[in-house]
Amino acid sequence: MGVARGVGLPPGVGGVRLTLSMISDPTLRSTPGQSLFGSYAGDPDLYDEIYAEPGVLRTHWQAFAQATSKFGVQDFSRRWAQARRLLQENSLAYPDPRNRDVQSRPWDLDPLPLILNAEEWRSLSDALQQRATLLNLVLQDLFGPQRLLQGGDLPASLVYRHLGFRLPLASPATPPAQMLHFYAADLARAPDGKWWVMGDRSEAPSGTGYALENRIALSRMMPTVPRQCQIMRLAPFFKSVQDRLAELAAPHGENAQTVMLSPRAGSPHYFEAAYLARYLGYPVAESGDLAVRDNQVYLKTLGGLSPVNVLMRRLNTDECDPLELPGQAAGGVAGLLQAAQSGSVTIANSLGSGLIESPAFMAFMPKLCQRLLGEPLKMPGVATWWCGDPDAKRYVLEHLDDLTIKPAYRRRSRERDDTKELRQLTPEQIAKRIERTPERFVAQERVVRSIAPVWNETATETGYIALRSFAVASGDSYQVMPGGLARVSKSHSPLELSVLEGERSKDTWVISDGPVPSVSLLNPAQADIALSRAGADLPSRVAESLFWLGRQVERAESQARLVRTVTLRLTSDEEADRLPELPPLVRALAELGQIEPDFVLDIMKPQLPAIENQLPLAVFDDTQMGTLRSLVSGLTMQALGVRDRMSIDCWRVIRQMNERFVADPATADLADVLEKIDALMVNLSAVSGLVVESMTRTQGWRFLKLGQRIERAVQTATLIHAMVECPGMNEHAPLEALLEVADSLMTYRSRYLSRMKLGPVLDLLITDESNPRSIAFQIVDCENLVAELPQDQSLRGTPIEQQLTHTLLNRVRRTDSQHLARNYEAGASGPLLLLLSDVSKMLPKLSDAISHKYLIHSGDVQRLTELDTESDTDE
Amino acid sequence: MQYHLRHTTTYEYADAVAVCKNLVHLTPRETASQTHQNFQLTVLPEPDFLTEKPDYFGNRRHFFAINSVHYALTITCESDVDVLPRVLPELSRSKPWDKVVTDLAADRSPDGLMAFLFSLPSARIGSSKQLAQYARPSFPPGRPLLEAVRDLVHRINTDFEFDPRATNVHTPVTEVLRLRRGVCQDFAHLAIGCLRSLGLPARYVSGYVRTHPPEGQPRLVGADASHAWLSVTDGVGGWHDFDPTNDSMPTDEHITVAWGRDYADVCPIQGVFTGGGQHTLSVAVDVIPAEELQDATPRSPAQSQQQNQTISAVGQQQSQQEQSQQQGQQQSQTPRILPQPRQPQPRGQQGEEKKPGYFQPPPEIPWDV
Repeated sequence: MGVARGVGLPPGVGGVRLTLSMISDPTLRSTPGQSLFGSYAGDPDLYDEIYAEPGVLRTHWQAFAQATSKFGVQDFSRRWAQARRLLQENSLAYPDPRNRDVQSRPWDLDPLPLILNAEEWRSLSDALQQRATLLNLVLQDLFGPQRLLQGGDLPASLVYRHLGFRLPLASPATPPAQMLHFYAADLARAPDGKWWVMGDRSEAPSGTGYALENRIALSRMMPTVPRQCQIMRLAPFFKSVQDRLAELAAPHGENAQTVMLSPRAGSPHYFEAAYLARYLGYPVAESGDLAVRDNQVYLKTLGGLSPVNVLMRRLNTDECDPLELPGQAAGGVAGLLQAAQSGSVTIANSLGSGLIESPAFMAFMPKLCQRLLGEPLKMPGVATWWCGDPDAKRYVLEHLDDLTIKPAYRRRSRERDDTKELRQLTPEQIAKRIERTPERFVAQERVVRSIAPVWNETATETGYIALRSFAVASGDSYQVMPGGLARVSKSHSPLELSVLEGERSKDTWVISDGPVPSVSLLNPAQADIALSRAGADLPSRVAESLFWLGRQVERAESQARLVRTVTLRLTSDEEADRLPELPPLVRALAELGQIEPDFVLDIMKPQLPAIENQLPLAVFDDTQMGTLRSLVSGLTMQALGVRDRMSIDCWRVIRQMNERFVADPATADLADVLEKIDALMVNLSAVSGLVVESMTRTQGWRFLKLGQRIERAVQTATLIHAMVECPGMNEHAPLEALLEVADSLMTYRSRYLSRMKLGPVLDLLITDESNPRSIAFQIVDCENLVAELPQDQSLRGTPIEQQLTHTLLNRVRRTDSQHLARNYEAGASGPLLLLLSDVSKMLPKLSDAISHKYLIHSGDVQRLTELDTESDTDE
Repeated sequence: MQYHLRHTTTYEYADAVAVCKNLVHLTPRETASQTHQNFQLTVLPEPDFLTEKPDYFGNRRHFFAINSVHYALTITCESDVDVLPRVLPELSRSKPWDKVVTDLAADRSPDGLMAFLFSLPSARIGSSKQLAQYARPSFPPGRPLLEAVRDLVHRINTDFEFDPRATNVHTPVTEVLRLRRGVCQDFAHLAIGCLRSLGLPARYVSGYVRTHPPEGQPRLVGADASHAWLSVTDGVGGWHDFDPTNDSMPTDEHITVAWGRDYADVCPIQGVFTGGGQHTLSVAVDVIPAEELQDATPRSPAQSQQQNQTISAVGQQQSQQEQSQQQGQQQSQTPRILPQPRQPQPRGQQGEEKKPGYFQPPPEIPWDV
């Protein structure tokens, strides 16, 4: 049997007709016509991935058809719906809560995989190994001796005009070591069954994380099917990635540290980097987490600087070093290139490796392959003409209608816009542009892709397939992932645009022709691991995010409780002007920034409708600072940045909170406010609870906790201050409201029943060290926490943050609540207000002291001289 | 001709700078007509790390880092430079310029490739039709290259007015062409742009030029300045310098520091730092002919005009329109290279401090990588 080895066997040869009557599975027979591919119509002009000829499945699809036939359409749909839910909840990608326009996962997974047989994959694999080897050699030459330019194998004009050809990276005297460790290619299959390379990715190829995620999702959805189909596992590929990085680390000694250099949290590429880092077992660092000292790269941690020897680079070259490789984007690690050139750190892929992914190079690949490897390309690239060559330009201008015109130089992250712009031009306009700057354009043959069925709720339709295939350097050659990320679109349009038109992805299965060995990424059991408990190696940025996450969780909770108390009063059947607690509550709302200060008047009645209208806005408006909704966005943002540090459940709760705490501020009423806030409170409590129960008591936990404690003390002090400024705060109802907001009503009642007096209330909320809601409790806890923070042993004296907690605690401990209350009742509110404002002033100092000492290792980088990277007076 | 050269650059910061890293092109090149001794680069506060590595063009380039808190940074560079009078080529006997262009295309030797690199648009010098149009009258077919360049340089000197207020370091060459004003850096860029638009290679040279104090007056301390001009290959292996600002071909009064495609490649001081807030820059340059050194030490600095500028943080981008609107009172954003005769630079305004951007999502999608 040998159907469809990708070498274009005529349809039908060796195919096996798999019709419903042949399948003996009773489930399928009982629902006739419900084959998964029932409604899929092929296209005789294109290569069909699944059917050798109408109704005849290709051999390597049979196992899948058989294995899934027993599900039937209904069960398949049900499983898929469930898998999708899981995928959405656990997905790598998560939209920035403050910028909903940024798509984080622009495509959905399709439950039907793309299936390839082993033989075909082997030929793909051979071809990609060859291509990666070739691209690496070209890169090494161009950033080294440039013999290809001297020999005329590549036009100097093509290379020197390329903005990616950065002179600081080039050194003819010392040719670079291997530059390409990770490589990906976008492939398409022509109607004759042959695969073509449509594009190369050599900078920091993305997609492996998504391929992994897709595989996990499909395996959960139909656990037995992959085994029945004998598909090759992805783990060996990721093992090769680890091996490669270990190989690069080896020369740096036994304790060499490998770090994933990722884009900033919140950028679409961050998710994949964090996901991969977690899977592969490397710490994630953003460029702000790294510093260069004396040509050595360090990770900034709470315990100081910790050397880094290998960087798995997921950042573009022009985002890496603002000193020598300034780009449009701010950030980067100043001095990184120097460090790399000194050999103290190995970067994979090497800086500059993205040069060669520009389409212009594709025009020269056949020639370069002959020149450097002495053999023809094993897989052809899409025919490409670089217009910088006069003959090619003439050909292109004569055949404009049949060709796709693209920018010759890929500008990362602007490719889509560039392509879109070109598509909007008339042929005349394009010709004019080509004439003006021919070297900036390439023309490519229109790519015809193969088709495969795509699941659409309950039926299948036709999708056009492109395959992103991945390779990692291994020994002298490359290892290719047995699988990949198939991209499916509904039209033939260029890949750069298909995303916009609703592209989806498929997992890619390679059917093994032998038993599938299992490989684990875990370390072999016999290797001893040094025990580690300290946690001082926590990156400062992570500590900072945790600290602010703690503060924001607490702030959201306090404010939610206050809003809820006010809302309950407003919706009670009591006349509002007969509620003496309302003015102090409203004042607290204003003080904490929830509503306009104009509402703070003692006469409530005329303002009530306005407050009722204002409140939903103050709660749900995402565009205003300080609203509950924006607090939730902010804390989701913080959580995103430290997702790899928190438990999956904790993240899930935050996610849920972010998604559910939404209402249209224009139409929402007080009932909505109550309902949403109740749900929010449950989520916030869950977050706090998970922190207590599931985070190890290392430095990260301490910073989160410190954030919470400081914030709770600030909130409580501000609340009491705002309320006692209103007259009549010694009455029953306002005191009860205060206790309710401060979440201490139950404790109070258990102690004093229903007798409300200011003295005991103040004691409970300020000085009682056993009440986890009191100010004193927060400060005691802060004192314990700061005592555990890492200290520089060489410094003498009490650290500033310890001095501050100490002073604060003394101030509170020396307070006599009864005395303060008696004074207040006698009309002297001064001492009480003074205490509260003292506390409110010192807490920010404590927060600043902690920030300065532990968290702010990195400010934003400024440049002494500002250089443009590109000036262009042509357009 | 022997010179004692001293170039001091001082940055003062409003806030503490925690870390700074700098790349400097301050060491004079050794060329056939230029040697130097007693080179000394002094950085205050003392750097924690200092190395030297040549750049792509063979210029000497120092890298240094300061890792402790500082409020000011002073970089002083001193050396004794010996400049031999250059023998000026016979302009009318040089290769026809159009022949240089066609020969260049066929020359794939390392030198040929380097020359070719200098014929392409670069970061600061784009190609444009207007530049070619301006250059044309000097380049009738078959005219000897160096003669044509000399003519172009003379025309620039005549057509353009020296005016440090008209442009800043970001002004594009085409804008300089429109304004007909600028400083030495602009004129060098402009001439290079003209030559490249015809397919000719030209490189940007940064350095210093000797100044002659007015008759009977002493030399002022720190009153000299950096200078810039251009160099052109004659197509038979030689490079020849032209100074559009002074309408001359340098002989022994120009000191060459570095060359590259444009200012961006050889910027004297280029650095990044964290913290600092707003900062001001002052530059003092002395090019003292050796014979004057024996006479007397230069006069007190009280009379010297220091060149004061404010540099704003990276990230502050202004549109060209805004920039030209604010000219006259506009700050320069980088150390400018001033031409001869030196004129005082307008005192800069304080630049806006960059807001720390915690998070700016790029409008892109995962498929882009």
